[in-house]
Amino acid sequence: MPVRVVADAVGRFGRRGEGLLQLLAEAAELATEQTGRKTIDLLIVGHMSGGSLDESENVTAQLADRLGLEQASGFRVEAASATGAAAFHAAAHAVAGGGFDRALVVAGEKMTNRPTADVARALARSLAPQEQAVGATMPGLAALIAQRVAAADPAAPTAWAQVTVQARKGASENPSAQFREAITVAEVEASRPIALPLRLLHCSAVSDGAAAVVVERGTGPAEVLGMGEGFDSLMLSDRAELTTFRATRLAARRAYEMAHLTRKSLDFAELHDAFAPFAPIDLEDLGLCGPGEGAGWFLDGSTSREGRFPVNPSGGLLGRGHPVGASGLAQIAEVSRQLRGEAGSRSLPGPPRVGVAQSIGGLASHNFVTILGSGGPP
Amino acid sequence: MTGPDSILVSTCPGCHGRFLPRPGPCPRCGSTVVRPQPIPSVGEVLAATELTVPPAGWPEPHRLALVELSHGVRVLCLVAGDLPPIASRVRVVRDGERYLASLEPS
Repeated sequence: MPVRVVADAVGRFGRRGEGLLQLLAEAAELATEQTGRKTIDLLIVGHMSGGSLDESENVTAQLADRLGLEQASGFRVEAASATGAAAFHAAAHAVAGGGFDRALVVAGEKMTNRPTADVARALARSLAPQEQAVGATMPGLAALIAQRVAAADPAAPTAWAQVTVQARKGASENPSAQFREAITVAEVEASRPIALPLRLLHCSAVSDGAAAVVVERGTGPAEVLGMGEGFDSLMLSDRAELTTFRATRLAARRAYEMAHLTRKSLDFAELHDAFAPFAPIDLEDLGLCGPGEGAGWFLDGSTSREGRFPVNPSGGLLGRGHPVGASGLAQIAEVSRQLRGEAGSRSLPGPPRVGVAQSIGGLASHNFVTILGSGGPP
Repeated sequence: MTGPDSILVSTCPGCHGRFLPRPGPCPRCGSTVVRPQPIPSVGEVLAATELTVPPAGWPEPHRLALVELSHGVRVLCLVAGDLPPIASRVRVVRDGERYLASLEPS
């Protein structure tokens, strides 16, 4: 696919005083400056919550106005907590199709201005109506999945703590990240219960933030090799398997097919670790290891920066914070930056040639996989 | 049609799948022809948890259980009473749009 990422920016994630539009504009300006402000003819905005969290509506036109992009075309894209990835896919397909030359993708969310219980209810609207009817939340359903994982593998909870410890280590090198201080396994396991077996430090945080990338036609560093997305049953209770996400497996299969690659070509990943138990599942669903083997990869150091398959050098959602609309694009920005060799102190050894970003929308009902390459032979 | 010992599910004559009644086609095969069928209301807990931060408007404690009934039908329930352990037996009743689970005396 002759499309590549030529600029990327991730604003600071965390509790921000600015509103959504300002956060989006800040990331957009940072990305477009990197291109020397070349003409943008497509603006794709990723934003999950509509007005339900931040009272922003018509954000695409508002941002176009703010950025002086009235001559461009534009759309808003939404796919729950995978919104940022969906926005990127829409832009890359549009540019690859030849209708546009250069797209600016901007994705963000404003969340910290609302009480946590309100945010929990807003996010839970992405669940099935029958699940909302019993007051289910994202952490609640993630906890049920985690219990099934732990029932099959008693070592899994130790791996979950390690997922968070490793995420914080990555985040310590990422100026955009919300949580830059190292923590220990003991601290994770002593944090307060959210929905057992999930504790506070197993869960990504409510956050404000935005990311932006510029996509244009051409080959070279940070070239898009493959993209795929997939659905699963909206209701957890309809799924035959609870410890794997069909939506990721479908997305991965489609992305590998488009890229004409297999999992063996991948050098590193940005995985959707909104809840720590998801990270080992993500590894398994991408086919990087067998069912039930993901936890072992976190326990034996395989996924560390120096390991054989680095995961979440950016700090992941656990370290970076999870402004739901932004996270998917922040992942792709990190993969792009690593492949262009511009990741500074968190650059992976190698250097890596192929990286993957994997995003989960809702409770894994709409997931995305994006494979980028360095422009050299994979 | 159903008493406390049974609960109404939908059955698909096409794929023989059974699932909770919902709008739309069979979630497994897409058939639009489904029929109601009562099945026993006592099932086994696959997983259960208590949410320390319920969504706005929900009282505490807020407990959820994923329950497997017969024929592989699973249902996410609000728990009435104590949190049931994994593999315990619970009785499920429908209450409007939601399902409630409570521990069966052993």
